[in-house]
Amino acid sequence: MTEANNMANKLLINDLDVLKHHIAKFYSVVQIQKDVNGQELWTEQLGDKLDPLFGHNHLPLTSPKGFLFAEKEVLYKFDGETFETILPRVHPKVLFGVQACDLSAIAYQDKFFEHDPYYQKRREHILLVGIDCESPCANGFCVQVDAGPHVKDNTADLVLSRLSVDETNEFSEWLVIAQTEKGINSIKGMMLDKADNKHLKRRRELFEKVRSEFVDYSYISNAIEYLNDNSVPAQLWEELSVRCMGCSGCTNLCPTCSCYSTYEVVEKKTVTPASISNEVKLEVTHSETIRCWDSCLFEGFQKEASGHNPSQKAAQRVERFWFHKFSDEYLPEFQRYGCVGCGRCEQTCPGSIGVHSVMKRIDQQCCN
Amino acid sequence: MLQLTPQTIRIIDVYDDGTHARHFTFEPKGFVHDEPISIGQFFMLTVPGAGLAPFTYTSIPDKTGRFKALIRNVGHLTKKVFSLGKGDVLGYNGPFGRGWPVGLVMHKEVLIVAGGCGLAPVASTIDYLIKGGSSNSVTLLYASFDIASQVLKKERARWSSSINLFETLEVGGVSGRSGLPTQYLSHLLNKNDRHPDIVLTCGPEAMMMAVAKSCLDLGLKASDIWMSIERRMRCGVGLCGHCYVANSFACKQGPTYRYDEFVALENKTVAFEKHQGLFQYC
Repeated sequence: MTEANNMANKLLINDLDVLKHHIAKFYSVVQIQKDVNGQELWTEQLGDKLDPLFGHNHLPLTSPKGFLFAEKEVLYKFDGETFETILPRVHPKVLFGVQACDLSAIAYQDKFFEHDPYYQKRREHILLVGIDCESPCANGFCVQVDAGPHVKDNTADLVLSRLSVDETNEFSEWLVIAQTEKGINSIKGMMLDKADNKHLKRRRELFEKVRSEFVDYSYISNAIEYLNDNSVPAQLWEELSVRCMGCSGCTNLCPTCSCYSTYEVVEKKTVTPASISNEVKLEVTHSETIRCWDSCLFEGFQKEASGHNPSQKAAQRVERFWFHKFSDEYLPEFQRYGCVGCGRCEQTCPGSIGVHSVMKRIDQQCCN
Repeated sequence: MLQLTPQTIRIIDVYDDGTHARHFTFEPKGFVHDEPISIGQFFMLTVPGAGLAPFTYTSIPDKTGRFKALIRNVGHLTKKVFSLGKGDVLGYNGPFGRGWPVGLVMHKEVLIVAGGCGLAPVASTIDYLIKGGSSNSVTLLYASFDIASQVLKKERARWSSSINLFETLEVGGVSGRSGLPTQYLSHLLNKNDRHPDIVLTCGPEAMMMAVAKSCLDLGLKASDIWMSIERRMRCGVGLCGHCYVANSFACKQGPTYRYDEFVALENKTVAFEKHQGLFQYC
């Protein structure tokens, strides 16, 4: 996209609210918000309540995954004779202020769900406004897995980067980069100053500054190597998996996890038997097939009706989960690991076997 | 875009075929199979009110689009299928996955080792080889739990006149025809005149692994052994994630795997048990 790389698409703005209000004329706004318990979550704004909680210094507990790959949705319905596709009813939404890690995850899922009509129907109506992180977050290690801290190229329609801040006047200067046609169109009609090379240079300096503020996460890179060498002993998976309660907290919060199951919602009617010998049966007249997020860490995830379960042991399930996140085998397909370094699994795991705990154990055990 | 919504099929025939197993014939309703179906591929059956699951074709669609499937009553979905009869409608998506390497098999000495209802996924291959004039070079070793649980009675009767059919029962078999299939492999593999070039196996996973291991011990190459595995599935198109084998999905790269490829996949992770000793017929 030569046009998008043009300096004309690199602009400056002082007040992000102005930008957001402009975009909100065409898109319903989804952004990070605190719920009643103070938990920061991705939420769709209703009305004109647009209090910003921008992503540059807040990593919310949830990723915006559910706005693209719905937590629960109807796939098709049956009317007694035929099946009818039920695609989601969508309206244009802007995900405003998405961090680099979550954008890398969306790019990953865009590939995985490339041919999924439900995902793509939502995706084509979504505008992604990314935001550069200004400091490392509590559990984040995006630098180790090439997902941040600044928004990666071609993962957002618009990228916001705060170049300077004057605390006393609450004045900030933001660089706005439109990376796609959709991004360019979303700011059409706004009178914004053009940025120049000095602003881009400033962004690169800020990137180096944030990068340097990350603590030493080399155990993660080491553990990735050990995982791919196949040198993690089975015994370690056994020890780690004792702590897995199969709660699905990690898989639900993981922005790249995509496994789903299906279930049926039915409307039944009693069929009157033709004779006394016929048994009364409930006939399904209408049903809907619904898909919902599933978790490969559930014991029954692979269990077949016969009872055969290829991943009966928790150790197998835990190992496969980390294999899916860090195996080189997935690089040809996705050009990156399945982990984007958000650290949410560490934050949520009640058994303390999130990414940091697991990778630290692997590094300690395998380096000896 | 993928089509996850099923098309409608109607049950036009059904009969009992082994303990808790029935053989169904389906007819497409309002659609034609728009892509050719390879032997050994599978389809997803949607049972309104119960869900969806993968099944194999015991015979692939004929000119009228009709096809057959053997279904065992083993869970809540198949229980629902067993409550249905002629005229009832179900949902169909397919074909999916990779079938048997029929191009490699034709005109070679083939040993097929099937266990229990694992006979269903190889049935079309046997018919294909007979039709192609290769029946003299086909040996079928069919193992099941007991006489009642043997499936595909009509097909076996038909095959017995043309291929070398050897049956064994774990319980109730007469002498020389009882026990596990692995007991007979040395006999079948050592015959000088009919030493198999290729082995196809389908049955409980532990059985297939045991069969493959015995074949290796008896001098066959790992790359000449093929297996068809069973996995839970919720889509058939590589999205739901349930049917993983390391980084492959059985619905796309399988369900037919070459034994050495399957072992290489299993070896990518360490906590998965390899070559379990015991198996049960489903």
